[in-house]
Amino acid sequence: MIFSGIVITLLGFLLSVLSLGFVSSVGGRMTMVLIGLAVSLFGIMGVINRANLKNAIWRR
Amino acid sequence: MKKFVLLTGIVALFSLAAFSQAPAAPPATSTPITTNDLKNVDTPKMDDRLKGDPGASLTGNVSDIAVNDSKKGLTVADALNQIGQNKVAINFVWTLITGFLVMFMQAGFAVVETGLCRAKNANHTMMMNFMVYGVGMLAYWLIGFAIQMGGVGGVANLGGVPSLNTEHAITLFGKSFGLFGQHGIFLTQGGTYDVGVMVVFLFQMVFMDTALTIVTGSAAERWKYSAFIVSSFIMGAFTYPLFANWAWGGGWLANLGTNFGLGKGYCDFAGSGVVHAVGGITALAVSMVVGPRLGKYARDGRPNAIIGHDIVIVLTGCFILAFGWFGFNPGSTLGASGNGSLRISSIAVNTMLAGMTGGFGAMLYMWMRYGKPDASMSGNGLLAGLVAITAPSGFVNTVGASIIGLIAGVLVCLSVEFVDRKLKVDDPVGAISVHGANGLWGVISVGLFADGKSNYGGSWNGVTGSVTGLFYGDASQLVAQLIGVVTLVGFVFTFSYVVNLVIDYFVGQRVSAKAELEGLDLPEMGQLGYPEFELKGRAVSV
Repeated sequence: MIFSGIVITLLGFLLSVLSLGFVSSVGGRMTMVLIGLAVSLFGIMGVINRANLKNAIWRR
Repeated sequence: MKKFVLLTGIVALFSLAAFSQAPAAPPATSTPITTNDLKNVDTPKMDDRLKGDPGASLTGNVSDIAVNDSKKGLTVADALNQIGQNKVAINFVWTLITGFLVMFMQAGFAVVETGLCRAKNANHTMMMNFMVYGVGMLAYWLIGFAIQMGGVGGVANLGGVPSLNTEHAITLFGKSFGLFGQHGIFLTQGGTYDVGVMVVFLFQMVFMDTALTIVTGSAAERWKYSAFIVSSFIMGAFTYPLFANWAWGGGWLANLGTNFGLGKGYCDFAGSGVVHAVGGITALAVSMVVGPRLGKYARDGRPNAIIGHDIVIVLTGCFILAFGWFGFNPGSTLGASGNGSLRISSIAVNTMLAGMTGGFGAMLYMWMRYGKPDASMSGNGLLAGLVAITAPSGFVNTVGASIIGLIAGVLVCLSVEFVDRKLKVDDPVGAISVHGANGLWGVISVGLFADGKSNYGGSWNGVTGSVTGLFYGDASQLVAQLIGVVTLVGFVFTFSYVVNLVIDYFVGQRVSAKAELEGLDLPEMGQLGYPEFELKGRAVSV
């Protein structure tokens, strides 16, 4: 689960970098970068953190 | 009679206006200075000098100019060399003194973090803040500086520093992507035993240490000291320098303007992203790996407030940090003379205003929401405003600075609640919100509020013109800033998280439950922070 989160978070970053090569308009790049940001935030908060909370010290 | 007086007055006013608007006299034709002119300059007589100079009219004159060849006497070349050296000397002194101010911010961080922790962990928290200075400096001197600045390709205000000229780059989409510098290991390799390079190193080193000390706050009260040493060393050697190279060292983020036409490239004047967001996001990664303190969350996930032990030193520390910030932001011109560096006055005022509106924003939010103007959150609001204005301080006007600070003050309160209640990530001092969330906000705000009036030598990041944000007509600048934000969130977080997972595997990140309950001062440091105090335990529901 944590590994998946790491991959997803990194994927968001790569998506925004790819916008530089595959899109030329400012609006298109902005859209791709914002999607990349959303993907990275989901990876951190929705996957990695959720995996950590499953084994949180206060649950034991 | 009254009409006559009125008419005369109006005529006089118009005459005055016309006179004041009269075209200026054409400039006098410039005549080249010759060596003979210099020889005719009067110098004070020795008899006069021997009487002293209380009026400061005799000290500092043509006889103080260094002469290259005493047989030839003073030449135009001597005078011009002296002028050039004076400019660089002013910039050296400015950058060094502002660097000393930033170094003193370590004391501010130390007392803010220690005050927000419990008394039983005072020695441990203080020691982390104290030793992060040395650990970070060692890592940065060894390799970090070379990675960050080894390929910057020149710093005009500091005499050029031409030896920092080797950047490792890859080619992507047909463009060069600078990844890391290669000159400056041990400050000797690659011709970097150089007076200008030393100034750059000192200034950049204290910035790097600021980023490192942010993490000690979020992981306080349960971080194993040995793990802290290893984690901080890696952050000073690799994590911070990598992103700093991309933004400040001639790397790919800085070149988004020249390579892809995105504004002036990623712009981060003094480091909302490079310093604070890197520190805050690494703090988030470390806090996730270390886990929350015992008693922070009840079994149903409800958060308990664990109150710090000394609000007096917390607010004193905030003042120390606000003072140090006058080094952080205005010092980032790397000079006070040439290339638009006189904008230091505007940068200093922007810094003051944003800090103030940040403190106000947080105080008013807490007052309205909880009925009291919370002291620690007001302090965090001040810091949030300062963090947010760090990136845009060199590019915005005072109205923009005030708005940026005010939003930061409210944002820090919302973020603290979100991290505490929704993410359930334990951050005893609010570092993730103050530095992480507001560091990102500061980076974005450049792309919104930069007014296009700053001019640092006519270009920024190699692109001619002034940095201009969305509200002043350039949407592409906002895209460059957002790419910086995604790099921080997507790359820096991932890198920091993986590094700290590996440290957890080999060293162990967390102290034992027994040590944590007892307080870390004795088990980890061997000495209590307050040995003559009787520390009383406080029951928390779990």
